[in-house]
Amino acid sequence: MKFKKVLALLLCIAMVCSLSACQSGEKKELNLFTWDGMFPQEVLDAFEKDTGIRINYSNFDYDEDMLSKLSEAEGGDYDLVIADDYIIELAIQQGLVQKLDKSKLSNFSNVNSLYQGQFYDPSDEYTVPYGAGIPLIIYDPALVNLDIKGYSDLWDPSLKDSVAIIGNYRVIDGIALKTMGESFNTQDLDQIQAAGDKLMELAPNIRLINDNNTQDYIISGEASVAFMYTSQITMALAERPDLKVVYPEEGLGFGIMAGFIPSKAPSSDAAHQFLNYILQPEVSAQCFEYIGYYCTNKAAEPYISEEMHDLIVVPDTVTEGEAIQNISQEAEDLHGKIWTEFKDACN
Amino acid sequence: MKKHSKIWVSVIPLYIFTLIFVAGPLIYMIALSFMTRAEVFGVVGEFTLDNYKKIFEPIYLKTFAESLKLAFTSTILIILLGYPYGYFMAKLSSVWKKRMMALLMIPFWTSALIRLYGWIIIFRSNGVLDSVLMGLGITKDPLKLLYTYPAVVVGMVYALLPFMILSVYSSAEKMDWSLVEAARDLGASPMKAFLTVTLKLTLPGLLSGVVLTFVPSMGLFFIADILGGNKVVLVGSIIQEQLTKGRNWPFAAALSVVLMIMTSLIIGIYRKVTNTKDLEGLF
Amino acid sequence: MKNRTKLPNIYLGVILVIMYLPIVLTVFYSFNESKISSIWGGFSLKWYEELMGDRDLKEALRNSLILAALSCSASAVIGTLGAVGMSRIQSKSKGIVEYISTIPIMIPEIILGMVFLAFFSLLGLPFGMTTLVLAHTTFCIPYIFMMVKARLIGMDKSLEEAARDLGASPVRAFFDIVLPLIMPAIASGMLLAFAMSFDDVVISIFVTGPKTNTLPIKIYTKMKTGVTPEINALSTVILVVTVFLLFLSSRIKKKQK
Repeated sequence: MKFKKVLALLLCIAMVCSLSACQSGEKKELNLFTWDGMFPQEVLDAFEKDTGIRINYSNFDYDEDMLSKLSEAEGGDYDLVIADDYIIELAIQQGLVQKLDKSKLSNFSNVNSLYQGQFYDPSDEYTVPYGAGIPLIIYDPALVNLDIKGYSDLWDPSLKDSVAIIGNYRVIDGIALKTMGESFNTQDLDQIQAAGDKLMELAPNIRLINDNNTQDYIISGEASVAFMYTSQITMALAERPDLKVVYPEEGLGFGIMAGFIPSKAPSSDAAHQFLNYILQPEVSAQCFEYIGYYCTNKAAEPYISEEMHDLIVVPDTVTEGEAIQNISQEAEDLHGKIWTEFKDACN
Repeated sequence: MKKHSKIWVSVIPLYIFTLIFVAGPLIYMIALSFMTRAEVFGVVGEFTLDNYKKIFEPIYLKTFAESLKLAFTSTILIILLGYPYGYFMAKLSSVWKKRMMALLMIPFWTSALIRLYGWIIIFRSNGVLDSVLMGLGITKDPLKLLYTYPAVVVGMVYALLPFMILSVYSSAEKMDWSLVEAARDLGASPMKAFLTVTLKLTLPGLLSGVVLTFVPSMGLFFIADILGGNKVVLVGSIIQEQLTKGRNWPFAAALSVVLMIMTSLIIGIYRKVTNTKDLEGLF
Repeated sequence: MKNRTKLPNIYLGVILVIMYLPIVLTVFYSFNESKISSIWGGFSLKWYEELMGDRDLKEALRNSLILAALSCSASAVIGTLGAVGMSRIQSKSKGIVEYISTIPIMIPEIILGMVFLAFFSLLGLPFGMTTLVLAHTTFCIPYIFMMVKARLIGMDKSLEEAARDLGASPVRAFFDIVLPLIMPAIASGMLLAFAMSFDDVVISIFVTGPKTNTLPIKIYTKMKTGVTPEINALSTVILVVTVFLLFLSSRIKKKQK
C-alpha cells in the first residue's frame, strides 16, 4: 500500500502548489508564442521588472503548429508571435494578424531597412523583423578530404554516412533544385520530381536528419559535414573555431523571422511595449548575441561584442539569397512525398 | 432485483464521458478523413475518397509495412525479455517483490524523453559503449550505432518493457502455483507443466502486455526521431508531419483511421488465437 | 540445484542494471560544467543553481502536478464508479461502452492528440488547463477501470450481500465494504494514471493553450533546441524526490505495523 501514501503526498504537494498559484492573482500579461530559446532570460526578466507585465512564454516546434493553434484561437489567445517569413504571409492572408501601431513603436526606425519590404509584408505594416539567416554548409577539415564549395559536393561518395542535415523539406529538396540550377520556389512538378530523384542519390551520405541542435553532431564528431541554420552555425563556430563554413556557390537560401501581433490579441498594448523594448539597441544586441541569427537591428550593431560581430553582423549582400515562399498545394504535396521517400531511403 | 435498481447512477459518468470524449472525437476523426483540405489551412466539408487513395501510393504502403515490422520486432523482443522477468519476479519473496516493484516504478517518474536521451549518451560515436568496447579491444573504430535501426529498436524495447513486466507479473502473482505442482506430481516434465499450466494461466497478463507494448510502438514517433535520426519513417511520423508541416488534416485522419483499424485487427486476431476474451488484470 | 535458483536473480539484476544505466548517466551529466551535452567539462553544480532560478520550469512543474492530480482523481472517480456499476448491471450497451472507453489505450497516442485537438476546437473549448484535464482524464480512465474491474472479478460478493441483508444502504455498503476491498486496485490504478499523465508529451502538445506549459512539453522543446544539463538536473531532482517518498512511505508502513 505504499503507493497510496506516495499518491496522497503528491496530491498534497500539488494542492499546496495550486494554492500558492492562486495567491499571485491577476496581473498584466503578455502571451508570447515562439520557438524555445528565442530570448535570453535576462531580457525577459528585465522587461517584467521595468513594466510589471508578466510574460507567458509558450513554444511551438514548427511554424505550422503555430498557424494551426492561432487559427483554432481565431487570432486570439496570443499577444505576440515570432515565426518565419512564409508562414507570416499565410497568417496575414488568413486575417489573423493586426496592423502595428507605429506610434507605439518609437524604436521602429532602428530596424535595418535591408530586411524590410519583404515579400510577406511589402509595406511593413504588420511585422518587425527579429533575426535572419542563411542555411550553410559547415565541415570539419580534419575529417573531410574534400574542398567543399557547394551543395553538389554533399553528393560526393567520400562523405558516406557522415552528413547531418536539417529537417526542413523545402530547404533540403531545394538544394537539389539548386544543384540543377532551379529556384527553391519552382512550381514545375517535373522539375521537383527530377530534383527528388537526384535527392535519392544523396541518401547514402546522410548520417542523420534533425531540425534541432544539429550543431551538437558536428561539434561531437558524430557527423563530419553539416548543412544547417545560421544560429546553429554560430553555435558550432563558437565551440569549434576550427570548423570551416561554406557559402554554397550554387546560390544561397535566405529567411527572416519576424514578430507580429495576432488580430484578436488579448493585450496588444503589452505586445507593442515588448516589441519596442526589444528594439532598443542595447537590448537588441543582447538578444542577437544570444540567438545567433543575423542581426536585423542596425542601431544594435555597435553594441555587439567583438567576438560575435563577424558571426552575426553580415554584409548587405545577405538579402541576395532566395527566400522560400509559399507554392501551390500540388507542388507542396510533392515535396512532402519526396521527403518521406528520401528519409526512408536514408535508413 | 430491487436492490440493484439504483446502481445505474454509478455508470452514468462513465457513459457520458465515453460518449462525449471518446466516441465523439473518433467519429469526428472518421468524418474528417472523408473531407477535403482547404486551400491554406483547415478543411472543407466536401466528400472525397482521395485521402484513402493516397495511402495506396507505394511510399505510404511501405511506411505501414515498416511500422508493422518495427512493432513486431519490438514486441517479440519485449515478450522474450519481459515474460521471464515478470515470471521470476512473481516467484520472489514478498519483501523483494515490493522492492522490485519500487525499482520498476522509479523510472516511470523520470521523463521518458530524458531516459531516451541517456541512450544517446551511450550509443553516440566515442560514447560510453564505444569507449568500453574500444577500451576492451573488442572494436577498433567507433560503431556509429546511433541513428540506426537497431538503436530505434533498443529505444522501443526500453521504453515499453516495464509494461510487459508488470502485466505478466500481476498475472503470475495471482496464479495458483499448486496447479503447477499438481501437474508435476502427475508426471509432467517442467517444460510441459510450464506450457500447459503456467503459460495458460499467465496468458491474460501476456495479452495485456502485448496490447500495452504493440499499440504504442506503432505510434511512438519521437523514439524514431531521437534515436533514429529521423531516418526511420513510421506511420506516426507521417501523421505528425501531415498534421504540422503538411497542413493536411484529412490525410492525417485517414492514416489514423487505417492505423486504428490495423491495431484493432491485430489485437483481435491475437485474442482469437490465444482464446482470451477479456483484457484481464492490466497490471 | 543451487545454480538453478540463482540464475533468475542474475537475470533480474542484469535487466535492472541496463534499465537504470541511462538514468545513472542522466544524473551524472547533470553535474557537467559544459553546456554542450557531448563534452564533459568538469564537475559543477551550476545547473542546479540555474534550475532554482528558472521560473518557467517551476511553473511547468506546477502545472504538471496539478494536471496529473486532477485528471487522476477525476478518472479514479469515474473509472471506479463505472467498473463497480458495470459489474452489477446487465445491459446491451455495456459491452460497447466498455470497449469504447478502453479505446484510448488501444490506439496510438498521436491519433488521440489529433482527434482531441480537432474535436475541442469543434466544440469551441478554450485551450489550456481545461482541455488538458479532459484529455488526460480520458486516457487515464481505462487504466483505473480495468484494474478495478479485475479486482472486482476476483472479489467475494458475499460480504457486501451480508451487509445489505443486515440493513446497510447500498451507499453505505459501498463505502464500508466494497471500497476498502478495491482500494489497492484504485490506488495502483491512480498511481499509474498519475505517472502516465505526468509524463505525457504527445497528447499534451496538441491540446495545450498559451499559458499552460507542462513539464514534459518544456523538456521536449528544450531537448529539441539542445538539452542543457539543467533538464538533467531537474530529472535528478524528481528522481530523488520519488525515491525519498517511496522510502518514507515504506517507513511509515513499517511503523504502523
